[in-house]
Amino acid sequence: MTTRSLGQFYPVSSPVHALDPRAKIIATAIFVVGLFLIDSTAGLLFVAAALVALVAVSRIPAGTFLRLLRPVLYIVALTVLFQIFFSREGVILFEWGFLEVHSGGLRMGLFLALRILLLVSSAGLLTATTAPVALADGIEDLLSPLKRVRFPAHEVAMMMTIALRFIPTLGEEAEKIQRAQAARGADFSEGGPLRRARSFLPVLIPLTVGAFRRADELADAMESRGYRGGEGRTRYRELRYRMSDAIALALTLLVLLVGIVL
Amino acid sequence: MKLELRDVGHVYARGTPFQVEALRGVSLVVEPGEVLAIVGGTGSGKSTLAQHMNLLLVPTSGEVLVDAVDATTLTKSELRRRVGLVFQFPESALFAPTVEEDVAFAPRQLGLDEEEVTERVLESLRALGAEELAARSPFALSGGEKRRVAIAGVLAMGPEVLVLDEPTAGLDPAAREDLLALILGLREAGVSVVLVSHDLDEVAEVADRVCALHEGRVSAVGTAAEVFYADPTRAPATVRVASLLRGASPGIGHPVRFRETLDALRAQQGT
Amino acid sequence: MQNPGEGTRPGGSFAVSCERVTFSYPGSAQPALSGVSFALRRGEYVGVVGPNGGGKSTLVRLLNGLLKPESGRVLVSGRDPATEPFEVRKHLGVLFQNPENGLVAPFVEDDVAFGLENLGVPREEMRERVARAVRAVGLQGYERREPHTLSGGEKQRVALAGLLAVEPEILVLDEPTSMLDAAGRREVLKHLGDLRFEKTVLHVTHHLEELLDADRILVLNGGELVADETPERLFSNADFLRENSLLLPVVPRLALELGFPPAKLRTPEELAEAILARTQSGTRSL
Repeated sequence: MTTRSLGQFYPVSSPVHALDPRAKIIATAIFVVGLFLIDSTAGLLFVAAALVALVAVSRIPAGTFLRLLRPVLYIVALTVLFQIFFSREGVILFEWGFLEVHSGGLRMGLFLALRILLLVSSAGLLTATTAPVALADGIEDLLSPLKRVRFPAHEVAMMMTIALRFIPTLGEEAEKIQRAQAARGADFSEGGPLRRARSFLPVLIPLTVGAFRRADELADAMESRGYRGGEGRTRYRELRYRMSDAIALALTLLVLLVGIVL
Repeated sequence: MKLELRDVGHVYARGTPFQVEALRGVSLVVEPGEVLAIVGGTGSGKSTLAQHMNLLLVPTSGEVLVDAVDATTLTKSELRRRVGLVFQFPESALFAPTVEEDVAFAPRQLGLDEEEVTERVLESLRALGAEELAARSPFALSGGEKRRVAIAGVLAMGPEVLVLDEPTAGLDPAAREDLLALILGLREAGVSVVLVSHDLDEVAEVADRVCALHEGRVSAVGTAAEVFYADPTRAPATVRVASLLRGASPGIGHPVRFRETLDALRAQQGT
Repeated sequence: MQNPGEGTRPGGSFAVSCERVTFSYPGSAQPALSGVSFALRRGEYVGVVGPNGGGKSTLVRLLNGLLKPESGRVLVSGRDPATEPFEVRKHLGVLFQNPENGLVAPFVEDDVAFGLENLGVPREEMRERVARAVRAVGLQGYERREPHTLSGGEKQRVALAGLLAVEPEILVLDEPTSMLDAAGRREVLKHLGDLRFEKTVLHVTHHLEELLDADRILVLNGGELVADETPERLFSNADFLRENSLLLPVVPRLALELGFPPAKLRTPEELAEAILARTQSGTRSL
């Protein structure tokens, strides 16, 4: 049983999937910065349209992609509501008791909502089109200049790869433990939020203890296979910049510029 | 208690591209006080079937009956008390600071008073030969000890039917023998045991009846001798040996357990 | 005769030697291994059995340098794993019990390459060796699969491929099938069987039927080496087996009880044949 949760890799082949992970990481970083430089809703809408086109090109089904956004919907809704009810900009659209909805609030709410959605979408697109190994390799490569100042770039990348590798495994383990406790009469659905949180202890504790034990076994296995940190290691996967990467970066900058101007 | 599955089907992830029909039209009865083994390869549906016995999984078609009453009409806690289910590698669910407390979890969830809980805990630990472990931390135990504590935890609910999914997986021969002895002991005490196992030699030693699953369907059901001798190529080693010799010496009969097979072979050699 | 320790140097006739090795886990009253001595000749296939807690896993970890002995000496291919673990691990690979916790990478081929990456093997050579190792375990086509989608037997084969890619002369198997179901065990044992003629193998297991072809079987109990025998002699000694919590599988056990050599008959069919042959020759002589 696969757990398709926040931003997991969607394995199809597409021009976006084929891009060098470093280019994609840099593009995403530029995108995020650029988002904050855009100050008009029109600009954001333009960028959103470009992103939608990109999702289409990357062959990720709309439904799958929208599911990535589900966790942030609360935040988005809260933000919008906050703006709607507490902004005093622009014309009053309607009143209801002491609550006033101003046109400015509506516009600001929309703007902020769009920005949040675009932020999450860009990160989601990155992880959906980039295999975890490639992502870790890309990060390690981009961070490697920092090795000169003793930053453990390789170790960080290795930790990420391992974490990514074990997410589905831990997910399955959590499910399994939950079922085992249910068979012992545990009920995860009754009581108020505090009670419910406590009822998860019989799942969290064994899961955590199990995770530590796994870590020990994994460390033994890695050492047994000759692992001794990043020193002298070669890499199986090759990272090579291509024309398409340059084009992708250029396009990203272009879209952002247009957005800023609008 | 008589536990019955009538024409049970189970489809995972219905309506999605990951849809899979794990069980088709499975009809099965667990008689009171017997050991029923469920055998079959990986993907045959054994574990899915096991989880239907206490309705941890609900059938997408067909029904589960407890003493002729639809199991879905019983409360969840009632059902899980009467039908205990121990998963494969159950020690991964141990969580309390001491063995005693962990084993007490299930009886406490049932709402029993502390006196009753303590009694149950002691009884189950004793049944598993684990009384000396009571005050220890479950995380400091050996694999075999953890396994025993985990099973005690379910046994403490006082089930009438105990379903064990691959209970001897990963155990050394001594621990395995102890567990098989426990199964026979439970049967003596009137508890029905459903043993899900891929190890036919183990099944041969304890099972009264056997249900063979193949691709979600029941391919054979009956007494151990009936099922195994019907297809000796997929039977425990004892049956395979005996069935090859029956042609020449029909007096061998249909032994399944080690002891009776050995006796039959010795008798045959004596002639 | 050549000192086994000296004999483990390249060109010598021994692959591994343990001389009076003792080890205790911190905080433990009893030593996990006590004065254990044995040697593995090149190309030998040796089994290690004994009750849980008897020292088998400790021995494995002393051989590849995960643990250091408190006294005594371990030599692998002429080197001491306690002082030169990295070197030793090029020559001795370990297949652990739980394949799940030995798979590092999110894809099969990346995991198989892991050992080669650690050795600093150049990329071109890596690709070739990974492909060869994947083929050796019959997992062609699985290169881009994710570990959690694999069956237990498949995971263990990936782990084996990862070991083979490094091309060690010595393989140590630490209960490689104990967490697998019957089908998984068959798969893994088949590939291990193919290897035993190319490598020196030390196979730790509870399943005595896996050791029918072994040259010798070592029995570890309570941290001591209590036996170093051929399968035939070990399986014939019912009392000794019982004392050390060893259980013969069904067919050898039946064979033994019926007066046949227990290590020669492995399948029910062979046993049935032997019984028939004996009855026939019996009636013929009447």
